[in-house]
Amino acid sequence: MSIVADSPGLPINGGIVVSGASRAFGEIKAVSSATFTALPGTVTALIGPNGSGKTTLMLMLASLLKPDGGQIRIAGFDPILETGEVRRRLGWMPDVLGSWASLSVRATLEFTGRLYEFDRSKAAARAAELMTIVGLADLADSPTRVLSRGQKQRLSLARALVHDPDVLLLDEPASGLDPVARVQLRDTVRRMAAEGKTVLVSSHVLSELDEMADSAVYLEGGVTASAERVAAARIAPRPWRIRASDLAALLSALDAAEVGTRTQDRNEVVVALSGEEEASTLLATLVSAGVRISAFAPALGELENTFMDLSGLIARPVADSQNPAAS
Amino acid sequence: MIVVLELRQRVRAVSWYVLLGVFILLVAFVTVLLSIALFAFGAADAGGGVFSTIILFVLLLGSLVTPALSGSAINGDREAGTLATTQVTLVTTWQLVLGKFLAAWVSALAFLAAAAPFLVYATIVGHLGVDTTVVALLVLVVELGVIAAIGVGLSGIISRSLFSIVLTYLVVAALSVGTLIAFTLGGLVIQSEVRSTSSYATSFATDGAPVECSEPQVSVYRTPRFDLVWVFLAANPYVVLADAVPTQYDQNGFPTDLFGNIKLGVRAAQKSPDLDTSYSECDGKQLVQPTGRETIESTAPGWFVGLLVHLVLAPAALTAAWASTRTPAARLARGSRVA
Repeated sequence: MSIVADSPGLPINGGIVVSGASRAFGEIKAVSSATFTALPGTVTALIGPNGSGKTTLMLMLASLLKPDGGQIRIAGFDPILETGEVRRRLGWMPDVLGSWASLSVRATLEFTGRLYEFDRSKAAARAAELMTIVGLADLADSPTRVLSRGQKQRLSLARALVHDPDVLLLDEPASGLDPVARVQLRDTVRRMAAEGKTVLVSSHVLSELDEMADSAVYLEGGVTASAERVAAARIAPRPWRIRASDLAALLSALDAAEVGTRTQDRNEVVVALSGEEEASTLLATLVSAGVRISAFAPALGELENTFMDLSGLIARPVADSQNPAAS
Repeated sequence: MIVVLELRQRVRAVSWYVLLGVFILLVAFVTVLLSIALFAFGAADAGGGVFSTIILFVLLLGSLVTPALSGSAINGDREAGTLATTQVTLVTTWQLVLGKFLAAWVSALAFLAAAAPFLVYATIVGHLGVDTTVVALLVLVVELGVIAAIGVGLSGIISRSLFSIVLTYLVVAALSVGTLIAFTLGGLVIQSEVRSTSSYATSFATDGAPVECSEPQVSVYRTPRFDLVWVFLAANPYVVLADAVPTQYDQNGFPTDLFGNIKLGVRAAQKSPDLDTSYSECDGKQLVQPTGRETIESTAPGWFVGLLVHLVLAPAALTAAWASTRTPAARLARGSRVA
């Protein structure tokens, strides 16, 4: 079993390594070519529009679906040939929140532990520990059917963590969570990465990924964007939002600074700037021209910006891009 | 693990206890009525009748309940989103499928256990032999297992749980009613011509003995050939059960319980009809009907053929479920999702 030969130049002793993975359902190619690496100790975002093949890719990584072609390594093991080894090291939180309806939260986690070949006392101890980590200790003995969506989400995360996996796959972990729970989720995910785990998080809510991810994989139409395209998109002009109490002064100062593309939105102006350098130059110019600036910030998060650029949506920086969750 | 999980999750629900309660009431009702009816006829060994009826009743209810419990074991989990989360653990597909099968079987057997007091009563009252009791229970247990296996198997192959439950019922119906229909229709379609020659006495001696007989009269009619299609019945679970149990006979050589009577009916169907009968009142031969014991002992026991068919069907269904539930999945049924 030569991993090195399969994926030359890629780390072999951990993380997630995918090269050229594809999977079709009948005529429909859900994933046609996915290539990326997620390193241990980092959080990697998997980004793509609905139907881009995120979940199919996740299922292949989770050893549930066989790829038609390409190579996948989870913590150095092949999910097809070494399924058991992969499953021992892999935690998967699905986008579908299924739970054993009549079992309590505690029993669910204990059973999951037992399915990972824990003995009874170890499973019980781990269940208690996890309920504290995800904040479900108060609901330990309620049946899972009474849990709210957000609580089920947390149970699902706890279930993925039962066997303390090295690699974590989180499919839409934040959907349905309230802001406090999102912060907790982010902290949990960051802590996992700090412990040296490999975390892959998929979501289409890009702002929330921006806060937790170290790097990103862009998937569109079943193909991962190449590193070059991502690098190009990163330096492409992105919208910045400028707010000033005196809008007329701001507009004339912008004219003087010869900033081309811009749109006006309520008492704000959105301008296209390439990179931080150009932004700080413009800010200095505006301030020295005596414009009183109250806000000067990128209109989109970094991931969001790159993603919008890759999907060809960047040309129109409009106000409603503030709410990408509405996709 | 899967067995415990399955029993706690799926089976141990309130509705299930209600079902069990209704079942006990039904069996109690049947036992009391049967006892009254049979003892009123003065049958000394009515216990045999009660026992066999309760066993068949348990099989009937078991075959009605088991498909509902087992027919959505796998695809129901998939619909609830709990199958994939189980599959990513270290549980193997065989453990999963067999666990679900055992759980369905155990829950079907709970109905047998619930009927135990009535069976014990009938055994004592009917002075039944150990062999009768043991064989009857054993075959019943196996047949319930076969139904459970078919249900779990179909729930693995078919993606929609409603379809798999209905299909499990259809398979059970095909085995228990369909074989009967096939047997009856088959027998009626294949008919043979019978030449019956008979002559009757025209004058009698003073002691009533016939002296002179008429010219032989030939009548021709058609008769159904059940003897050519009896194998259909061999696959019937009720017939397998009845046919397998050792029969007890009364002093006239006829079976004393329901098992024996079903067995006699099935065995009698094996006998080829005499296609050229002749009868004369004058030749002094009496028309002798064979007793039940003679019929049963002169024909082939078909139960092990049926049981063998069932015992092939059950593992085949489970293997098919295994093949379509295996992960990493290579092929998916149309319109189904892994998770």
